[in-house]
Amino acid sequence: MSTSIVHRPEPASPVRFLHHLNPIAKLLGPLLAIMVTIFVKDLATPIILTGIAMLMILIGARFTRFVAIYFVAVLIFLPVSTLTFSLWVDTSRVADLTPVLQLGDWTLTRGALLVGLATALRLITVASLAMISSLTTFAPDFVRAAVQQLKVPYRIGYTALTAFRFIPRFGHDLAVIRAAHRVRGVARGRGPISAIRRMFSYPVPLLASGIRHAERVALAMDARAFGAHATRTERHIIPFRTRDWVFVILWVALGIVVPFWIGPALAPLLPTP
Amino acid sequence: MTSGSVEVRDVRIRHDENEYWAPNGTSFSLTPGTVTLLLGPSGSGKSTLALSLNGLVPDAIAADIEGTVLIEGKDIAGRAPGQISERVSMVFQDPEAQIVTSTILDEVCFGPENLQLPVDAVLARAERALRQVGLWERRAETPDRLSGGGKQRLAIAAALAMATPILVLDEPTANLDPAGIAEVYSVLKDLVETGGHTVLLIEHNLDAAIDLVDRVIVLDGQGRVTLDGTPREIFDAGHQTLLRLGVWLPIAAIAGLRLRRAGLPLDPLPLTPHELGAALDALPSVPDPVPADRHAIVADPDVTPLLDVRALRVVRRRDELLHGVSLSVPRGDFLAVVGPNGAGKTTLIQAMAGVVRPPRGQVFVQGKDVSRMDVRDLTAQVGFVFQNPEHQFITGTVADELAHGLRLQRLPESEITERVDAMLERFGLTAQRDRHPYLLSGGQKRRLSVGTALITGAPLLVLDEPTFGQDRSRAAELLALLRDLNRQGTTIVVVSHDLQLVADYANRVAVVADGSLLGIGPSEEILADTDLLQRAGLLPPPLAQAFAGLEHHPIWRSVARLDQLPGAEGWRNREH
Repeated sequence: MSTSIVHRPEPASPVRFLHHLNPIAKLLGPLLAIMVTIFVKDLATPIILTGIAMLMILIGARFTRFVAIYFVAVLIFLPVSTLTFSLWVDTSRVADLTPVLQLGDWTLTRGALLVGLATALRLITVASLAMISSLTTFAPDFVRAAVQQLKVPYRIGYTALTAFRFIPRFGHDLAVIRAAHRVRGVARGRGPISAIRRMFSYPVPLLASGIRHAERVALAMDARAFGAHATRTERHIIPFRTRDWVFVILWVALGIVVPFWIGPALAPLLPTP
Repeated sequence: MTSGSVEVRDVRIRHDENEYWAPNGTSFSLTPGTVTLLLGPSGSGKSTLALSLNGLVPDAIAADIEGTVLIEGKDIAGRAPGQISERVSMVFQDPEAQIVTSTILDEVCFGPENLQLPVDAVLARAERALRQVGLWERRAETPDRLSGGGKQRLAIAAALAMATPILVLDEPTANLDPAGIAEVYSVLKDLVETGGHTVLLIEHNLDAAIDLVDRVIVLDGQGRVTLDGTPREIFDAGHQTLLRLGVWLPIAAIAGLRLRRAGLPLDPLPLTPHELGAALDALPSVPDPVPADRHAIVADPDVTPLLDVRALRVVRRRDELLHGVSLSVPRGDFLAVVGPNGAGKTTLIQAMAGVVRPPRGQVFVQGKDVSRMDVRDLTAQVGFVFQNPEHQFITGTVADELAHGLRLQRLPESEITERVDAMLERFGLTAQRDRHPYLLSGGQKRRLSVGTALITGAPLLVLDEPTFGQDRSRAAELLALLRDLNRQGTTIVVVSHDLQLVADYANRVAVVADGSLLGIGPSEEILADTDLLQRAGLLPPPLAQAFAGLEHHPIWRSVARLDQLPGAEGWRNREH
């Protein structure tokens, strides 16, 4: 999904190993780590897991605009959300009441700040682990892998694939409809209320043309024997190889070792929220 | 049973949402290895019939079907389209709506994969099919990069990859520009010459198709077979029936019949521009063409033109789409803008009408800068009709749709009602006044969209490809409506791909290519200027093609319009 959902990107160099892994392995491998992260309280676990995920993305993913956006987003999200979350913390349940910042009678305590930081780090970890797969997977390959390995019925999988193709078309239709409604003077005013009224005028024409298009595509698919047999020939085999098992086992191991052993071991070195 | 045979016996079909049967009792059989053209007025059920040949009707489109369809001797009733698709393949009208995958190769492989063929057989079929349509070299590309004609060639390749003896093409060129139409027919021509396929073709663009056709079947308004024969039999002896049904003829045949009325012995009736030209050239003497029936609009330099475009440049996302286009449209003009796809025609007329705000000081309507006008002023000056009428409908009833523009002008309600009623009457929509615009028929939607653009009294009406995807008689009906409006004083600017219609209705033609204006002038001059059209990547309209190469009657070389032909008026009056 990183570069495009419709057009297959050029093959990646062998170093960018994430692009050469099975999409299902990339999605399911880090799942345990994601679930554990949601429940840990310490700072070390999310920092280590995020660090590993970022390192993998930096080495293993082709450096696209989307990878850059991800790193910048993390840099912005970390301080902003740390501060925001620390404002929401229930101060009565915080142990460390050392003041960090004082504005009038309101005090930001060290404990609250650490809780905010831990929460922000956990969210970043979950997002980073999910990025391993989403930044390096071409959506149609994900569908193919889902059909091949997860035994999702191909009629559903390929219908989802064609749905991806609707997105640019919808975008184009929307632009035309907006121009048409503007020139007819739908809710001409400026400001948010007119903007919302204009938005409400788009769905009907958009859906009408979308449904008609979908019906035509369905006819074209039926006419080419789509769904006629229980299975179909698959030219693009998305293999599940040893390297995929290694990736999955590595992440399952990380999902156990980091939160239950490394995290507690490093706890004394880091402040405890 | 013979491979490739099709037999239709007393077939009648009624869609679930309809109360009438169309087709209603149709019988014919197709000879293996021949090309049959199926004609009929809109509503006769041609497409429905086509879809019933591979079971999409009634399997994918709910309908009652009676009678029997035999494919290679076997009744297909109860068989799913997926099974029949090994015998009958299809190409549809909309090139965009037939693409399922993200590369050209994957697209052609899609069908054989569904048939569970082994991978090497899939690839072998894909290669053969792509080579047949000339897309093998581009197999790794995404289909989105192809032009409309290219996409339709891909759809043909995808159908060929099904390796069926029977091929059904349902309006394969209705959504294409002339270059795309030519591409598709050159592929089909090769296909027919290599032989083997039984082809059923539904096509309105007879001028492109006629070369390939062995036989023509004509359905009447109820979808029953009324004529069946060779193209020459049908278009010569059967032309009265065709006219009565509102079915178009090839332009060369129309011209030929007309010249016969003028006393020229044209026998056999010419069907292609080439035959027409050759037949005329073979005659020792030919009367002079009549001057074009067109009220000449002369731009008076002292009068401000209604629309003035001065060195218009449009830049979008750092691409310059128009490189300084200048033209002016005098009051009362009927201007057609032509050019290949992507030339900038839509950009030009959208800027003219303020749909996309032009840069300051480059577009003026009645001397006022369009870039500084607000929507209310603009709609009072310019009516714009989008390619798809549904896009511009914004209210829940036909009457409200018409009233909307007047309410923006804050007119008293009594006057609004009066003007809405008059407009409903004028466009034959009075019975539909309380219906939802989306529930109108295609032609009614188009008329309503023209009505909404006109009701504020705008002196200028701008239309973006209003004939796109429509059959020729409906397109001619719309252009005739525009001509009536024009004669009543409305100035018209229209984008169209159909150069013969343009030739017959417009006063002037502007040729746009690659974001520049290549030429503008009276339609018969521009459309007979083969060099100019060639530079723009356009083919001359059929009549201009027919006469451009005449050796013995040089005065005919510049004839492009039907009304320049001598011969009694009247036989085409139905359309006019």
